[in-house]
Amino acid sequence: MRFSLDWLLEHLEAAPEADTLAQRLTECGFNVELREATVGGEVWDVEVTTNRPDVMNHRGLAREAAVATAVSLRELELGLEEDAEDASALASVTIDDPALCSRYVARIVRDVKVGDSPQWLKERLAQCGVRPVNAIVDATNYVLLDLGQPLHAFDLGHLRGARIIVRRARAGEALTTLDGERRVLDPSVLVIADSERAMALAGIMGGAETEIQPTTTSVLLESAHFDPVCVRRASRRLGLHTEASHRFERGGDPEMAATAADAAAALIVKLAGGRVCRGRIDVRPEGLRERHLTLAVSALSAFAGLEIATSEVVRILDGLEFRPRPEGDLVRCTVPPFRVDVERAADLYEEVIRHVGYDKVPSQLPVLTSAPGTRRGSWPLVDRARDAAVAAGLHEVMTYPFIDASDDELVATHPLCPGSPLPLENPLALTQNTMRRSLLPGLLAAARDNLNRGERSLTLFEQGRVFHQGSGTRVEAERLGIVLSGFAGSWASTTRIDFGHLKGIVEAVLERVPLLDLAWQRGGAPWFDESEAALLSTADGATVGVAGLLASERAAHWSVRQSLYVAELDLGAAEAEPPLPRYAELARFPVVVVDMTVEHPLALSFAELRRTICTLACEWVAQVELQARYTGEALAEGTVRTTLRLVYRHRDRSLTQEEVNAEQERLRERLAERLGVRFG
Amino acid sequence: MSLQRLEEVQAAFEKDLEAAGSDPAAVEAVRVAYAGRRSGLLQELTGALRSLPSEARREYGQALNRLKATVETGLDEARQRAEAARAQGTRPQVDVTLPGLRVPRGAEHPVHIVRRRIEGIFLRMGYSVEDGPEVEDDWHNFEALNIPPDHPARDDQDTFYLPGGMLLRTHTSPVQARVMESRQPPIRIIVPGRVYRRDSDLRHAPMFHQVEGLLVDEGITFGHLKATLETFLHALFSDRVGVRFRPSYFPFTEPSAEVDISCVFCQGSGCGVCSRSGWIEILGSGMVDPRVFEQVGVDAERYNGFAFGLGIDRVAMLLYGIPDLRQMFAGDQRLTRQFA
Repeated sequence: MRFSLDWLLEHLEAAPEADTLAQRLTECGFNVELREATVGGEVWDVEVTTNRPDVMNHRGLAREAAVATAVSLRELELGLEEDAEDASALASVTIDDPALCSRYVARIVRDVKVGDSPQWLKERLAQCGVRPVNAIVDATNYVLLDLGQPLHAFDLGHLRGARIIVRRARAGEALTTLDGERRVLDPSVLVIADSERAMALAGIMGGAETEIQPTTTSVLLESAHFDPVCVRRASRRLGLHTEASHRFERGGDPEMAATAADAAAALIVKLAGGRVCRGRIDVRPEGLRERHLTLAVSALSAFAGLEIATSEVVRILDGLEFRPRPEGDLVRCTVPPFRVDVERAADLYEEVIRHVGYDKVPSQLPVLTSAPGTRRGSWPLVDRARDAAVAAGLHEVMTYPFIDASDDELVATHPLCPGSPLPLENPLALTQNTMRRSLLPGLLAAARDNLNRGERSLTLFEQGRVFHQGSGTRVEAERLGIVLSGFAGSWASTTRIDFGHLKGIVEAVLERVPLLDLAWQRGGAPWFDESEAALLSTADGATVGVAGLLASERAAHWSVRQSLYVAELDLGAAEAEPPLPRYAELARFPVVVVDMTVEHPLALSFAELRRTICTLACEWVAQVELQARYTGEALAEGTVRTTLRLVYRHRDRSLTQEEVNAEQERLRERLAERLGVRFG
Repeated sequence: MSLQRLEEVQAAFEKDLEAAGSDPAAVEAVRVAYAGRRSGLLQELTGALRSLPSEARREYGQALNRLKATVETGLDEARQRAEAARAQGTRPQVDVTLPGLRVPRGAEHPVHIVRRRIEGIFLRMGYSVEDGPEVEDDWHNFEALNIPPDHPARDDQDTFYLPGGMLLRTHTSPVQARVMESRQPPIRIIVPGRVYRRDSDLRHAPMFHQVEGLLVDEGITFGHLKATLETFLHALFSDRVGVRFRPSYFPFTEPSAEVDISCVFCQGSGCGVCSRSGWIEILGSGMVDPRVFEQVGVDAERYNGFAFGLGIDRVAMLLYGIPDLRQMFAGDQRLTRQFA
């Protein structure tokens, strides 16, 4: 909020140096964010937190400044002179709903001449960002900025029945506000009415029909206190945020209503002439309820971690108008009505500690009384996946989890699509109106953008949550998505990225996560190319991953022409932790290595071939590894030559070449018999 | 055989020797070809002396001796050259400035690099790292934290709403409430995670990351809060960084403190990043408001504690000099590559 330095100083008995004042205010909780030199003196932009409506005016900030710089706050001088004419004879006030309006004060000023305000006042308003209108309205705004009480001036001549009624609006009742908007109301909105119609939105804005005009001669000043929640709801419902509503929402001071009415009436006479009628019309259904709190100085010191003297506690609380009364260790206080934020002793601690100064409290580390820290929830899991992806050469990106509903419709046919979509009720943009059920839409858009920026190869991964509409509470799950494209290798030898590269990376991640013993089976259409994709499933048949060449229609949807190798894994299916490595006895006798080349139809998968070999081989075979694959001119179409390396090993002795040859011969015969394969 | 033949041999020798250069094996091959004892050319030419008429022998012999001397001197010099060259190691030279054949390594997003640094600091101070849902209910996100409906603080946290009264959490603080509901003190936790606010400009993105911290125990003081955050900020930035605590307001702490560090760009002298103030706002913190303890069922008479929160993305931007928050969520692999 903007404050005029000169105005602020008018409330103090002595003027502290400006730099010191700015620093002290920052230290006691009112950060002076900007200091600006203007014609009318320095203007400060001061951060006033939302719990301190009492400081959203010059008097309030001056009160803090007085305590912070140890000077006195000046007594208010209103200079009000009353005329003999009785105000209560000219108008009456009724509050229909006392829960929503706890006090309504009216003052009447007659025989005014509405004109412009003097230059000094216009300047002050402008410094605080308020537009000057005319002397009457400017006077009410000046008092608002000075004392914090929102006021409204009605043209008494337009008040029908000479009555003010504070009531709920009738359903469908209309009011044209000062900004020229015609607003249709309902009973949730509190209005100020005369005997016939609504004239103003209580605590928010006045109406056009009763506003002060050049011809106005009699003014009824309203200085009231409205319920914060009622003002806030009406302000939100009408989309109308004003200086008045901003303060009422945060809580006002019913006591100030009277003082401010007097101050505004006196100022109007000064600016626009006229006479103030005798007496306030003051309707207050319930009297002031004093609030008392007691603070124990020893408890305060323990809480702060700093010995604070009772005299210092009393000095601070006295300056802040808590009327402190020390009794031994205790200090009894009465909470001033403008301090809506102070409700219990802990709130008083803050008042004292912030004025003592946070920098005075010595730093001391707390003693460790809990067990050593651990990492819980999904953090260990997602970071294992992240580490494995980075080790495999992938680069992490982050995309927003809200996607276009039309992209989400495509996700419905994705092999890992859970449940139904979760729409956002108030998206920032229509293209971001649905929570993602898969990482792929965001990741593919990122792939497209990277390619459009001229990247030739992509090594992207994203780790994040996907969301769906669930019947229970669990509606989010951890995923890992991968996109590869272009070339792998170094400058000396590059190869075009293919399914094998993708599978290698996916396998490396699965081992670390870990997601073990998954079966890779052809599948993934229509998201993936039929001939180059696989679904990954667990032993009990649950699909927990998909990997392969993105189908060309999907790539085209994201405007990508280059081949994209894509994978997505459901990390939620992972084991709690990678298993501990188990030591296997180190071989003490030499091994015999035999390469065996099998010629077989492509339809026989490598997994099945290897599994059959492992089943049929004798117990000496310790390893069966792929050495090479050949599908060339020399072979019939649909045929492949697979070379496997078998390692023979005996636990207790050396094997002879003859023994191994004999076993190898037996294995060939049994393989030929079982699978009908030939040997090259 | 003639003198002309000798001249031809000398020319061939000089040519071969030059070709051999300083390669010891090639020089040796030249020696064998010309001066070899069994089949060297000189041997053959010497043999030819006998078949010459006697009048020609003398002249031929003298020319042959000169050739032999030339060959010997030439070979000696070549051998010395080869020796010297070997000492210098002139095997085919590798261009050591060529790029290496690297095993590709990827990179984490800078936000996660910073998150893990922060986790590491607090794990060493005995804190556990907690996790919670990103889709939250109103109770944990607001009410349990002393932000009832119609509280003005809700204005500062523009919220994305989902069907059924659920919302995307606007801060990581709801996990505080969840942990206190389910566990009794002492509690020492941090909660890193993703949060959402309905906001997008240079300094705001609708998604960002926070770390929340909470310590609840008997006899916790404001001095404990100060020391903990000073220790953390010194470990995260540098021991030389200045730390300042300013009173502020958060609905769930009382008293509250905004924590500033001296500007890491201008060392506190004032620059564009710190708006000439010399300080950068980095953390929100405070002593846990007893109302929060009451909401989540912790004995507020017996225990007190402190809580704090900071933006991970903001720290990453400060540490690495990234100018635009939204750039971090654009999926640009050129950004991530810089963190390999």
